[in-house]
Amino acid sequence: MSEKIKLPDGFRSWEADVKIGKKEDKVTIGHWAEGCKGCAICVDVCPKKVWKLIEAKNKWNGQLVIVDKPDACIKCMLCEIHCPDFCIKIF
Amino acid sequence: MAFDYEKYLRMDKIPHLWCPGCGIGVVLKAMLRAMENVNWERNDTAFVSGIGCTSRAPGYIDCNTLHTTHGRGLTFATGIKMAQPDKNLVIFSGDGDATAIGGNHFIHACRRNIDMTLIVVNNNIYGMTGGQHSPTTPIGFKASTTIYGNVDPSFDICLLARAAGATYVARSTVNKGRTLEQYIQRGFENKGFSVIEAVSNCHTQFGRKNNMSDPISSRKWIEDREIPLAKARDMKAEDLKNMVITGEFITEKSDLERWENYNRAEKEYTEAYSDIIKKVKKK
Repeated sequence: MSEKIKLPDGFRSWEADVKIGKKEDKVTIGHWAEGCKGCAICVDVCPKKVWKLIEAKNKWNGQLVIVDKPDACIKCMLCEIHCPDFCIKIF
Repeated sequence: MAFDYEKYLRMDKIPHLWCPGCGIGVVLKAMLRAMENVNWERNDTAFVSGIGCTSRAPGYIDCNTLHTTHGRGLTFATGIKMAQPDKNLVIFSGDGDATAIGGNHFIHACRRNIDMTLIVVNNNIYGMTGGQHSPTTPIGFKASTTIYGNVDPSFDICLLARAAGATYVARSTVNKGRTLEQYIQRGFENKGFSVIEAVSNCHTQFGRKNNMSDPISSRKWIEDREIPLAKARDMKAEDLKNMVITGEFITEKSDLERWENYNRAEKEYTEAYSDIIKKVKKK
């Protein structure tokens, strides 16, 4: 991927070189902290434990997820499909 | 590649007001992806909803949207479809909205076979109004109006729609986002009335009273009860108690018995209606 990935405003991004099977690839994980309600569904569905739940001050339930191990991502897109709050983007 | 949901959303209204981990967000996303797959123009599509948690969904979609009275989403949508038969109609509804308060409208919309898609988000309870039991609350489970456990047997929304005459009926759960997308897409493509039931979680109202107050355990509960339709055919009735049978109940090439099909609508409703108008005008 040579072109620059454009994430929407407010998204924080993590970039990493990953190995999916035998293929080398690049991944960009975008997360929108302002909209994240910390439901931890992404932590639950991720087969590689990329996401991590932390405590944070917000108007929801005082939880927030962050990317813990971006280089473990296999681009299965499960977190993106199951995030109910439109907060995760995987490129 | 990531899907561009922002294209279809009113981003000034996001983050939405649903509880953290609510399944409606997953269903909404599946529906937007299905809409992209069938290449519907936003100007030619209308989203209608009744009252309840799901009624908020059209408010977040940047299309023609309508928020109507309790259970009457289908009737308003029928009106829109009759006036403009070339437009695409999608109705968002909950289990209480579609089968209790709008139950009559639901079966009659199925019977008419009008070209619309109904998405029923079934969370087993009235979430927004305070956790009263709904027609799909399983026996023995607690709600704010059944504090010692529910005794009413529950509706099977898919079998109800099938008996009433809908031409595409499918059920999936929020744990299977891709399958849900596929079913909704087939519902959009079907010319006739399509019903897609999405079994969802309500940990805030339903889960809190039944020892699963977080989204993970609520979703796990749904996952544990899920049985594919092909497998369920060979199972005994006792084993299927309180289970969620998922799959496509009616498709275009359905394996229905002949007698089950005998009084189904032969034509789509607006087509049949325009035929009548033509016939009368000739006289």
